[in-house]
Amino acid sequence: MSVVQSPAETNQTTKTLTLAKALNAGLRAALSADDKVLLYGEDIGSLGGVFRVTEKLQAQFGPDRVLDSPLAEAGLIGTAIGMAQRGYRPVVELQFDGFVFPGFDQITQQLAKMRFRSHGRVQLPVVVRFPYGGGIGSIENHSESVEAYFAHTPGLTVVTPSNPNDGYWMIQQAIASPDPVIFLEPKRRYHEKGVVQLDAPARGLHEASVVRAGSDVTLICWGPMVRTCLDAAAAAEKEGRSVEVVDVRSLQPLDFETIARSVEHTSRAIIVHEAQRNYGPGAELAARLQEQLFYVMESPVLRVTGYDTPYPPSKLEADWLPNLDRVLAAVDQSMGY
Amino acid sequence: MFQFKLPDPGEGLTEAEITQWLVSEGDEVRVNDVLVEIETAKSLVELPSPVSGTVRRLLVAVGDSVDVGAPIIEIDDGEPETEPEAQNLVGSGPLPEPTNRRRPAAAPVAEAPGPITTAVGKVLAKPLVRRLARDLGVKLASVHPTGPNGTVSKEDVEAAAGIAHAAADDVLGHTERIHGVRKATALNVAASVAKHVHVTEFNTIDITATKDLVARLKTRREFKDLHVSPLLLHAKAVCLALARHPELNATWDGEAGQIVYHDDVNLGIAAATPRGLLVPVIKGADKMNLVELCRAINELVVTAREGRLMPADYSGGTFSITNVGVFGIDTGTPIINGDESAILAMGAIKRRPWVVGSGDDEQIVPRWVTTLAVSFDHQLIDGEQGSLFLDDVSTVLSEPELALLF
Repeated sequence: MSVVQSPAETNQTTKTLTLAKALNAGLRAALSADDKVLLYGEDIGSLGGVFRVTEKLQAQFGPDRVLDSPLAEAGLIGTAIGMAQRGYRPVVELQFDGFVFPGFDQITQQLAKMRFRSHGRVQLPVVVRFPYGGGIGSIENHSESVEAYFAHTPGLTVVTPSNPNDGYWMIQQAIASPDPVIFLEPKRRYHEKGVVQLDAPARGLHEASVVRAGSDVTLICWGPMVRTCLDAAAAAEKEGRSVEVVDVRSLQPLDFETIARSVEHTSRAIIVHEAQRNYGPGAELAARLQEQLFYVMESPVLRVTGYDTPYPPSKLEADWLPNLDRVLAAVDQSMGY
Repeated sequence: MFQFKLPDPGEGLTEAEITQWLVSEGDEVRVNDVLVEIETAKSLVELPSPVSGTVRRLLVAVGDSVDVGAPIIEIDDGEPETEPEAQNLVGSGPLPEPTNRRRPAAAPVAEAPGPITTAVGKVLAKPLVRRLARDLGVKLASVHPTGPNGTVSKEDVEAAAGIAHAAADDVLGHTERIHGVRKATALNVAASVAKHVHVTEFNTIDITATKDLVARLKTRREFKDLHVSPLLLHAKAVCLALARHPELNATWDGEAGQIVYHDDVNLGIAAATPRGLLVPVIKGADKMNLVELCRAINELVVTAREGRLMPADYSGGTFSITNVGVFGIDTGTPIINGDESAILAMGAIKRRPWVVGSGDDEQIVPRWVTTLAVSFDHQLIDGEQGSLFLDDVSTVLSEPELALLF
């Protein structure tokens, strides 16, 4: 699949969609563009998925291309590996972040390593997509931020859109990728609307994006935290602070150049993620920043993250998740050096 | 159907009380009609309608306290029912998020850094400041710290290096941002003073013979298109003298524990340019004959005056000459340029009474007289070598024919 097509039924160049609908449109475009693209997962067919991301796709493309699978994640990934070897481009939906672990062995030990084992002869164009993160009043096992496990595993690429436009394009770019992509969808943002450019993607799958320009401090974030950071930056502006926000978009490979360019400019960096802090993705970013920008930094790299506990009951999640207040407190702290 | 949710009144407030409904079910409302009056902990606020339509249902009663984000009224605005997409099969729906800061509530700013404790006597400073101190040759321990938590700040280091920061508020007059060549010059001279142990020696000489030689050279065909000046012969004299005193054409590399003796004389000539003070370099000046050297100096002057010097033109020097004489000044105490070890200052050439002859022939006559000054780094150049070098330069300038001895 070399050319990604816009949905045939629209000839407008922009459309306002929710993230869930944008992903649905992106999947539809990918299914239309290439017969070898298959979707399967638990309840994705007639139900359209728990979050309705695959709504009406089975009706349009038939049960041979959009399949309901048994409740067995290891089997889902394992069969995808086999089908990818035989020329298909499987797109597997796992229902929740916490459900990835029954498939963890297949992902990290088989999917990730096949190209390495075969000396590059076998490439696996598999997309494993699932909703991640909290903030929807759900519980643990349904609210985890698991990006570090996969970004840590050589052989996988890990991307996460933060807005409908990125959702629409990144899912198509991920499906076009010749190698495995872990595609993380911020579930608390599924119903947030945004303008989708239907003509062409603004950037490549593995490029970071400066989503708000500023000069005092850089917030580095991805997925669900981009909205939180943008809100924090807007609130900070009222307090006279100019906050830059970088949407990382691709955790592996990392577009460190874009991040470094921003931090060189501001000399202060704060990493914001939902995942727990200990050995979390922020640790890697902070380490790289201090290695490469030691003499640029005006303050230590700070992290605003989830706490080092299992994901809490929904009554506590508003306090557990990084929020505007915690981000702004970190901004204060960073500027205090 | 439009559901109006209690908007965030700001100021960190999370709830409000309904004090009065200004519409009833069935009423027609237009955009900006006031729907309801609410009371927050701070004030009474009237909320306008964001849509036009028919009021279907009031969802809360007067006197109720309502959380920010909770729906309070339904208005039929002709739009279809709220899209079903918000109905997740799992969870209760997206968590409402504040867009304003609730200052004391969630995260007190007490996370700000407290007093820093560290090993006794260890100076506290950011890496950035440590690097600056190293570049400027400032010892951190000797700097009075005024930064937060007793840390040494950038300004502290710069002040210790003698780089003045005018506080804009206290200044009578105008300020100018420190940048470009001015800034580079400041950093260079401050670093030089910190790095080199400067000693300056002076020698006043009769330079009449050089003046005569300059006049003769001007008439020669080789110099037809060139500008010949005493600077040329100073440059030549320096090259000749450096051949006999290589330690003045060397670099003191304390970190590597070595002195680097340079094969070539890359002669820097300090120039007042439109951009500020620059020291363009004539590479391999000692390998040039007098005509080549003259041409090189001429070209340098033109390039510098036109402001076209490139970084390569003013880097890599091994010895420099500065000419304060052009301003009519007798002499000065020049500061060594960069990694070099010595610098010669040319003074003004003036008519002065001079004692010539000896015994019965001794008399005072007017002669062309100048004062040479050489600053050198006492770390690698003793008074003896510095003096002998200055004497050699003086000899060539006062009796140019003795250059044959060199």
